[in-house]
Amino acid sequence: MQRGFDSNSGADVSGANLSCAEWQPLLTLFAAGGELDPAEEDRLAAHLAQCPACSQSLDREKELVAFLASNRTEPDASLLASCRAGLSDALDREEEGGWLRRTFGVLLPTSWLSPRPAWSAAILLAIGFSVGILAPRLLRHPVAPKAPENSGSKVAATNDTGSTTGASADSSDTSAPANLAPSALDLRSADVAGINVLPSGGGESPRVELQLRAQQPVTVRGTVDDDNVRQALLGVLRQGERVCPDIRLDAVDLLRACNNDPEVRTALCHTVRTDRNAAVRLKALEALDGAEPEDIIRETLLDALVDDGNPGVRVEAINELRDMAAKGRVTSDDRMVSVLRERMQNDPSTYIRLQSAAAIRDLGPREKF
Amino acid sequence: MGMSVALEGDARQAAAVKLAEEQALVRKAQAGDRLAFEELVRRYDRDVLRLALNLVRRPEDARDIYQEGFLRAYRNLHRFRFECSFYTWIYRIVTNVALDHLRRRASRREEQAPVPLDADGGTRDFFDRQPELNAAANPEKRLFGEELGRHIDEAMKRLSPRERMVFEMKHYQGLRLRAIGDLLGTSEDTVKNSLFRATRKLRASLDAVR
Repeated sequence: MQRGFDSNSGADVSGANLSCAEWQPLLTLFAAGGELDPAEEDRLAAHLAQCPACSQSLDREKELVAFLASNRTEPDASLLASCRAGLSDALDREEEGGWLRRTFGVLLPTSWLSPRPAWSAAILLAIGFSVGILAPRLLRHPVAPKAPENSGSKVAATNDTGSTTGASADSSDTSAPANLAPSALDLRSADVAGINVLPSGGGESPRVELQLRAQQPVTVRGTVDDDNVRQALLGVLRQGERVCPDIRLDAVDLLRACNNDPEVRTALCHTVRTDRNAAVRLKALEALDGAEPEDIIRETLLDALVDDGNPGVRVEAINELRDMAAKGRVTSDDRMVSVLRERMQNDPSTYIRLQSAAAIRDLGPREKF
Repeated sequence: MGMSVALEGDARQAAAVKLAEEQALVRKAQAGDRLAFEELVRRYDRDVLRLALNLVRRPEDARDIYQEGFLRAYRNLHRFRFECSFYTWIYRIVTNVALDHLRRRASRREEQAPVPLDADGGTRDFFDRQPELNAAANPEKRLFGEELGRHIDEAMKRLSPRERMVFEMKHYQGLRLRAIGDLLGTSEDTVKNSLFRATRKLRASLDAVR
């Protein structure tokens, strides 16, 4: 039989006159699975039928893989949650530095500077002197932007005594300029010091006051339907741990009214997954009740059921899943059944194990997904 | 036959929809939507963390690889041109970060038997988490398991970073060798040779133990 060589492994794969050592690469690829073409597999199978040594070698190779699999580690939910929270904080820092890089990237392209260290040093010194000389002068005279016309919300400046004033402030109040209006982008990253909810009647959306910390304190007023108010509330959720949990709870509570807005829904799902405070995560789960599309909500609930370390949050997740199933708002799929089965067997809470079993029963025969 | 064709068609359609959704998310993330980026992270981060944890064996190191990998992805998102799947692109970044980490660790020679930490920050061997091996049930088995774990860790340390990566990705991440070569920026032949060498070294180290 003519010798043939596998161009990939360099082995003679015709089968004739090959030593066991020459068959070894093929055994390794076969044990790894899915790497040999059908002709190579047939030749290997024919050889294994005649060679006990190679057959034993293949068995040992498979045992090795299984043996090493016993030492594998599956990341637990707390490690994953901690990684996600750490990444979120790192992204926050990244965004804070972003405007600086964008500004100086335009003024000082690094591709020009990097091979010219002397120029880089000179420019750095010039920047340092400029900032040192000019910054105190600029900081003494802050410039207040004008408030844009807004149909619903009002943004007011707080005067030195701390009381809030409306947009039509008394012109004799010179300590605080009127119509101070941060841009929508500023509201997303504004530091919210407090939220007041003012009662409303007749089924109207409640009026909200958000006190923002800035160089000059600012109050944003309106309803959750107003873009400024909504952006500030979304900003509270985005900032996570940097904002007091009570304020995050209030923000989630208010955003519940517009949980079908895609941006709000995404922010609530994100809060369920990443907020470090269990009460906030629980409130965000509750706030998703009735939101659509249901498949995204279902995925959020399943993630909470699997990953959340707090039993109260998992209880809320399983209760909402059962409620959605009872109303026909979810259909089962592989993942859902797999999660419910796993919780039925492994959740530390008896209630969740029983509810997971009941949910599987509720889902009934699997529908085509 | 008709049913299987129909199911296969449904599966392809579902995959196409999922791909379209992912591409839309990537575009939103490239436009500066942070939540879209975090949604992308969530699709793959469990697999990424599993890969990192089983390569470096220390949760704190796995966390560093996770964070560095996804931060690099965030910073370079504007360079993603949809020439490959987002999954491939992310994995390419993370494997490079993990390889750098393994190479730095090998050159520092700070190797000790890596012990996973529990949620309270205390050390906890992998085998402590296996109910049949807990000390209350069977102390001898627990000690044997710890010893076995150390042998395996010692054997894995003898692999080069690339060999370790290829072995992990082939056997436990389920990737084809060609795909691994693509992720590592090398040829399929190079990846095969890494797999052969890794297997040879592991058999030499562990045959006596098993």
